[in-house]
Amino acid sequence: MSKTKSLSVFTNGILKENPVLVLILGTCPTLATTTTVTGALGMGLAALVVLLCSNVFISLLRKIIPETMRIPCYIVIIAGFVTIVKMLVQALFPGLYETLGVYLDLITVNCIILGRAEMFAGKNPVLASALDGIGMGIGFTVALGAMATIREVFGAASFAGIAIPFMEKYKIAFLTKAPGGLLVYGLLIALVYVITKGKAPVRTSFSCERCPNADKCQIENCTKKEAAA
Amino acid sequence: MEQFKLLVVILLSAVFVDNYVLCRFLGICPFLGVSKKLDQAAGMGVAVSLVMLLATAVTWPIQRFVLDALNMGYLQNIVFILIIATLVQILEMLLKKLSPALYKGLGVYLPLITTNCAVLGVTINNILDGYSFVESMVSTLGCGLGFLLAMVLFSGLRSRIHESKIPAPFRGLAVTLIAASFVSLAFMGFAGIVENIFG
Amino acid sequence: MKTGIKNLSVFVCICTVITLLLALTNAFTAPLILKNQNASANQALLEVMPDGEGFEAVSLESYTLPATVKEVYRETSGQGYVVKLVTTGYGSDMTIMCGVDAKGVVTGAVCISSNETLGKEKTYGENFTDKDAAGVEAVDVIGGATKTTAAYKNAVKDALNTAIILGGGSVDIRTEEEILSDNLSAALPEGDAAFDKLFLVEVIECADAVYAAENGAGYVFVRGEQFIGVRPDGTLVTDGAEDAEAIAAAVARLQSVTLQDIDLSAYPDLQKTVLSAQMTSSGNYIVETKGAGYGIKGGNEYHPASGEYIVVRVAMTPDGRIIDCLTVSEGETDGLGDACAQESFYGQFIGKTEENYTEIDAISGATLTTDGYKQAIQRAFAAVEILKGGE
Repeated sequence: MSKTKSLSVFTNGILKENPVLVLILGTCPTLATTTTVTGALGMGLAALVVLLCSNVFISLLRKIIPETMRIPCYIVIIAGFVTIVKMLVQALFPGLYETLGVYLDLITVNCIILGRAEMFAGKNPVLASALDGIGMGIGFTVALGAMATIREVFGAASFAGIAIPFMEKYKIAFLTKAPGGLLVYGLLIALVYVITKGKAPVRTSFSCERCPNADKCQIENCTKKEAAA
Repeated sequence: MEQFKLLVVILLSAVFVDNYVLCRFLGICPFLGVSKKLDQAAGMGVAVSLVMLLATAVTWPIQRFVLDALNMGYLQNIVFILIIATLVQILEMLLKKLSPALYKGLGVYLPLITTNCAVLGVTINNILDGYSFVESMVSTLGCGLGFLLAMVLFSGLRSRIHESKIPAPFRGLAVTLIAASFVSLAFMGFAGIVENIFG
Repeated sequence: MKTGIKNLSVFVCICTVITLLLALTNAFTAPLILKNQNASANQALLEVMPDGEGFEAVSLESYTLPATVKEVYRETSGQGYVVKLVTTGYGSDMTIMCGVDAKGVVTGAVCISSNETLGKEKTYGENFTDKDAAGVEAVDVIGGATKTTAAYKNAVKDALNTAIILGGGSVDIRTEEEILSDNLSAALPEGDAAFDKLFLVEVIECADAVYAAENGAGYVFVRGEQFIGVRPDGTLVTDGAEDAEAIAAAVARLQSVTLQDIDLSAYPDLQKTVLSAQMTSSGNYIVETKGAGYGIKGGNEYHPASGEYIVVRVAMTPDGRIIDCLTVSEGETDGLGDACAQESFYGQFIGKTEENYTEIDAISGATLTTDGYKQAIQRAFAAVEILKGGE
């Protein structure tokens, strides 16, 4: 693998194929854990570790895992690493564990991880898979961090728990609530469109294109089929 | 009577106050993806509710009588997700064989449900909240109904958005998310009502 | 079929490996997680007893403790106790954790849940750290948040007493009202523990206050720490008082005095300030006057005034000395100005004359209330002056 190629694998996840802002994967933790910067970064890093481990593991086993059994195998591997990360967080960072709660468990069903296993790690060598995992993980963390910064600074007048006194008068408390998350996410996607002048390959609608289950998907007007048509 | 009141409160909270999709963001993928048409939204909602109920009925006893008894709580995640995946497979096969009509209606949504975080979320949450079996089932029913309600409501909204003229940057997902934000805002109004429903 | 078995065995192998990995991680993290959980349970306790090593709950069944005490934890190395108390501040429950060491010194006090309006309870507990019983007594209540901080202070005192009781000592855990009631009953057992404080219309030199038994069994004369029970016929319940005759005479006067209403329509000047006036058979006056406190003057767009005057009943000798004084009604701010309805405030006017009635301690943070009260008292002096002249 050439140096430039591995670099592009790495940066892909951060910029061109940012899982949150471009691929629109992993919406659930993106919305739920971005009320505080600490929680968002914790979530991002936890997902990064799981992504890296599962990508490496799956890539190592890619020739052993039978084609027909691959999804159950992937799920077991991912769920295993999620539990390991969860136990480590609970033991070493109890405060973060309290903040993330059930969303830590739900990394298991985060589309990003299963999606990367299906699309990349299952077909590529170990080093590339590891780089892909780290790149995607960083992309996920950065996007979560950015969104959490907006929500926490403008919603709670603090940054990573440190109060910003002059913002206190102007805070918009609803940004830290559920509707605020949806609103900020929507605005961010619009912003990405404006910045890239509409050239970014942002999915304009929620398609099944990157969905790990797309093969099996039988919904009539699934966008993948729409695109193909 | 007290028990009944508690169950009603659990049910209503799950549907309105802690709506899985709009307040906890669980199952947001199908919410954004499969809510374009009313029939699809309803089909997905019913399928998810069904799988949720089945999954809770199986995972709760397993957690209580197997994992807790063997002191192997750390296998919870793996066991639950495998149970959900297996259930979905079995349900799909059964539907295909027994009722092709129903399969046509619901079956197509089933493969998507394995990785729906609402299903794994509800089974884990029931354990975390320390609910009894009956309470777990009621809470799961509430979550399913809440999901269905959110899907159906939102599909109506989306068909209106579809007809409107929207500025370019907001077209597609952005406006969908912002619309979802307003629906979620409306659901915030339920907070505090349900707890005091019996005075 | 063969591939099916092979596929399945791969899957089972993966499951086994992952399970082993999990078991390994669990063996490493489980003790840490348990430690964390214990630490967070102890955190609230450690906050008020920072040097504590471990805590265990104490069974409270065999002790008689102040009613505010809900839970007690013993520090396992014998450093002292942490007491959890629930008390009522200004209209809502406050839950307070208070640590007391083996020497009876407060190691810390925090309010862990409350719903008070002013929020003074959030930091008030800091005042008690490293104070013993006398030190706690000397901590001032905060003006403007009297009810909240007084309740807090009493809770800390209860915590100190609890530590003494659990340590094997004995303390008086009765409230002031209970102590008074017990003293009255001891002085006049026939009174059935039901007494009313008399509003005095006669000058009784031999007592600070007089209580009457509700069942008519007699009176209790209180002076300083002394409680003297007297039967209606003037005989003392307990012998030995030096001035038995004076007390008997006072009882006779209390029983013989009659009141006569004065028709205020004859005094147009008084109709705006005086609500009622009476004269005793011995020539003393009792007037009810009103003063404009915060309830009248304090109204603004944020705090609408109640529109109620402070109404004061004053008994006065014809030469203008206050015999007794009582707040009949007031519409002052709850928890602040309504302190004027407490005896500790209005009792200050007893014995005062028109020259020195202003020399009283004002209600802190409630200037308008204090001024309104003084206005009512001043009007009583003026009224008595006019009523006297009108005879």
